[in-house]
Amino acid sequence: MNIIVCIKQVPDVTEVSWDPETGSLIRKGIPSIINPDDKTAIESALQLKERYGGEVTVLSMGPSQVEEALREALGMGVDKAIQLTSKEFAGSDTWATSYTLGLAVKKAGQYELIICGKEAIDGMTAQVGPQLAEYLGIPQLTYAMNIEVVDSKVRVKQKLGDLERLLESPMPALITVEREAYPPRVAPMDTILEAYGKEIPVWKSDDLNGDGDNLGLKGSPTKLRKVYTPKLIKGKVEMFEGGPEEVAHKFVDKLKEKYII
Amino acid sequence: MDFNLSPESKMMVKAAKDFCEKEISPIMDSIIENNDYPDDLITKFANARMLGLVVPKEYGGVGTTNLNIILITEELGKTGSVCAYPMLMNNSTAETIDYWGSEDVKKKFLPPLCDGSAYACTAFTEPGTGSDPRALTTTAVPDGDDFIINGTKRYITGGNKKGYGVFYVKDEIMKGEKGDVTAFVVDKSSEGYSASAPWSLMGLEGMNCVDVFFKDVRVPGSSILGERGNGFPILLRWIAGERIQQAAYMVGLGQAALDESVKYVKERIVGGKPMGFMQGFQWMLSEMKGRIDACRYLTYRAACLQDDGKQIAIDSSELKIFVTTTIQEITRMAMQIHGSYGYSKEYKVERLFRYAAHAGVVATSTELNKTIAGSALLKSKR
Ligand SMILES: Cc1cc2nc3c(=O)[nH]c(=O)nc-3n(C[C@H](O)[C@H](O)[C@H](O)COP(=O)(O)OP(=O)(O)OC[C@H]3O[C@@H](n4cnc5c(N)ncnc54)[C@H](O)[C@@H]3O)c2cc1C
Repeated sequence: MNIIVCIKQVPDVTEVSWDPETGSLIRKGIPSIINPDDKTAIESALQLKERYGGEVTVLSMGPSQVEEALREALGMGVDKAIQLTSKEFAGSDTWATSYTLGLAVKKAGQYELIICGKEAIDGMTAQVGPQLAEYLGIPQLTYAMNIEVVDSKVRVKQKLGDLERLLESPMPALITVEREAYPPRVAPMDTILEAYGKEIPVWKSDDLNGDGDNLGLKGSPTKLRKVYTPKLIKGKVEMFEGGPEEVAHKFVDKLKEKYII
Repeated sequence: MDFNLSPESKMMVKAAKDFCEKEISPIMDSIIENNDYPDDLITKFANARMLGLVVPKEYGGVGTTNLNIILITEELGKTGSVCAYPMLMNNSTAETIDYWGSEDVKKKFLPPLCDGSAYACTAFTEPGTGSDPRALTTTAVPDGDDFIINGTKRYITGGNKKGYGVFYVKDEIMKGEKGDVTAFVVDKSSEGYSASAPWSLMGLEGMNCVDVFFKDVRVPGSSILGERGNGFPILLRWIAGERIQQAAYMVGLGQAALDESVKYVKERIVGGKPMGFMQGFQWMLSEMKGRIDACRYLTYRAACLQDDGKQIAIDSSELKIFVTTTIQEITRMAMQIHGSYGYSKEYKVERLFRYAAHAGVVATSTELNKTIAGSALLKSKR
């Protein structure tokens, strides 16, 4: 069973701060990491490979430093990596990103599953996975907690708030995984060494046979108008008095009164 | 001269950090409480391929450098836990076996030390001595193709854990000859082998330092490392590497002490302001940083010498004299910065201070290192 995992390199937001003047992200000196949900996606693919065989390929679009993220994925044990780096890809929104990834997936060869993280911590749109499935015309199984293959069909346990659903679809299919689903393994030291011995092909826009108008900033229908930190509104503090149970009831009543629950 | 780590090494550091977060943080409290680590700790190290790091792949190792061992050890040191030691023991003992062992010995003992099915140990110290090989009293007497070992070893890290160890023993027949110490690889589940309960130490909870008793333990002559009577050079070579690895652990402890201190001076309010505003503390922190960096780069240099196949006996002694005393002072400063909280077990710096104390007496004391490095200076022709 061949699996393609799409990963994004993101700034480590636990260390990120905002410029209060301009409202933009201060990226200088911030380490880049593999988006945490995508690391889960890698882990899920590795476990599926261990169970059902096949090959795992990671795919990432980004500036030249995404190589680092791809090497890390190779260090965790994926078989192959493909890097999409081209100045034409710069400024892509989720639509253009899914389009570009879609072209690359078609070029990458035969696969049964594509696995993406649920969402990226820097954008939090959760759009790329589903849009990629749409573009490729394959079923999508989102918010997966558990993935299994039964009688050549893929089954996932889907998490929807308090609900869980069991979904099944033929393959090829695209899955997006929840972060807690598969705690990522520690990259083994020997695999890290092997990771640096592997070639990573870099595909540019010319390699993808797509419509140049759909790529990068030019191909992105979403326009970012403004980034800002919402002003903090000073509120009134209300203290509840009484025993723990009484206070809890008062608190719940208040939340209902404010239509919060 | 290139002070940059290779991308591989950087990723190994990251992996070691991930390992500490995922596998060590959750068990820290229980290790301290039980004065022991869970039995499967070594399996976890094996899965992360942190064992047999310099052992060739054909024997189950990773085939990487001593520098990478040092980088990983530093990360483990930062946790302020004992866990670096079982990892290091398996690495250094396996390296010794790989360097000196016959093909049969390597094939037999290296795979289990690399795949985590065995805990290693290396045993020299006895109740009567830890510094003088002439004073060893544990004996090996030949019996056909085998040897019968009797005696007591003291303070043997991991001597009570299932697996294999290298034991330095007096050869009864060769006694009195210049080289009468022989290194044997011993199965710790051999008949007649037993271990005491762990010593209760000032720090390093879970170190599992035990006394080991040999009562007519039969060991095949084929498990001798190098030549019979050639144990002392084997020991010296092992112990030189050990000094570098301990220095790396100390650098980790020191860095953790600094990290805790920086965090503390930012949070603790004194006279209406975070205490970091006081110049005196800034001076302390800057001094700590510079000294830790000095320790770190000296340690990296020693590991690079080792990787280049250079002699490290003297350099590793000089290294350990400097790192031991410096990091002990760093952990004392960190405790001081924390005020009375630094004296409380609720705070990590208290542990770091206690743990740093061991380096002055384990695997050649500071005084012995000074004797080694000092006498080498007098002998040098330059
Ligand atoms: C936590 C811990 C773990 C240990 N793990 C191991 C282990 O795994 N395996 C093992 O074999 N041992 C182990 N040891 C023992 C340790 O290596 C010895 O304690 C150490 O070598 C010192 O030996 P000693 O205490 O017998 O000191 P002695 O040999 O009795 O020496 C006493 C003191 O005299 C001084 N001295 C001795 N000889 C000289 C000299 N030639 N020049 C200058 N000064 C000298 C030193 O200052 C020394 O501290 C461990 C000890 C501890 C505390």
